[in-house]
Amino acid sequence: MGEVIVITSGKGGVGKTTTTANIGAGLSQFDKKVVMIDTDLGLRNLDVVMGLENLIVYNLVDVIEGSCRLRQALIRDKRYENLYLLPSAQTKDKTAISPGQMKKLTSELKEEFDYILLDCPAGIEQGFQNAIAGADRAVIVTTPEVSAIRDADRIIGLLEANRIRNVDLIINRIRMDMVKRGDMMSVDDVTEILSIPLIGAIPDDEQVVIGTNQGEPVISSGSAAGKAYLNICKRIMGLDVPFMDLNEGRGFFSRLSHMLKRN
Amino acid sequence: MGKKSSVSIAKDRLKALVVSDRVHCKPDLCDKLNQELYYTLSKYIEITPEDFNVSVTRTHIHIRITGEEQ
Repeated sequence: MGEVIVITSGKGGVGKTTTTANIGAGLSQFDKKVVMIDTDLGLRNLDVVMGLENLIVYNLVDVIEGSCRLRQALIRDKRYENLYLLPSAQTKDKTAISPGQMKKLTSELKEEFDYILLDCPAGIEQGFQNAIAGADRAVIVTTPEVSAIRDADRIIGLLEANRIRNVDLIINRIRMDMVKRGDMMSVDDVTEILSIPLIGAIPDDEQVVIGTNQGEPVISSGSAAGKAYLNICKRIMGLDVPFMDLNEGRGFFSRLSHMLKRN
Repeated sequence: MGKKSSVSIAKDRLKALVVSDRVHCKPDLCDKLNQELYYTLSKYIEITPEDFNVSVTRTHIHIRITGEEQ
């Protein structure tokens, strides 16, 4: 029986879709059968981040409305065995599906997949309610900024109210140079305020932008962000993985140029 | 030094925001809540302002009166 994980944040632009793509690709590399569902109706993105936009025939709304069979809408990712995408509909809006329909769909997928990842839209309206309807657990993505953390706190409250108790935190786009200067909240600062378990901290990494340009997840790039995402996958599977030192993630030259700049 | 780091400003603002979101009150009411709880409790038990602390989680309001960490 699979597990349904919703990836959510409240605020937009903090990295939900990138996180979904990388966790999906990462889990599939550990021999897990994974399906990622883009639940952001009208603003389809996950297919683009994954580089699968040209393979879309049917979408989530087609499946829910019964215009096609579930199997016809699932896009298999040729680069990652066991990884599938159910894309969103670009021309429909959030009212096209209901929480009950999502719940039915995810419980059907649980029979066949180890993990069902739901990329949640920003906000707390119906799109959010749809995405969390069938979720067994949640991963909150935030960045070390006041507005993103505030929204994350509201989302955690809403998840608790919806009886989703297994909620973990990912802090994205951390810049250790700024943390050291006292100009960016640290992982500890954020975790203390939100008081939920930390499942990963992702350094701000150019490779993520490059990967998105190319439609490639960063997990196989060997970059700092890629390693951080792979560690998150292991923790999702229940393995105990020590948190990496984010300073190590920086290459020798960037550290050197940083030192020179400081002096 | 003397100048407050931007992180400590961010944390102060965020703590007030999060508490006000959690209990649905205005951010500046948190200080008042603190003061009035202190006033009320001090009528019945011996407390000092240094040892007194109110923290609001999503489900509870914790009042610390001994200054000791739990």
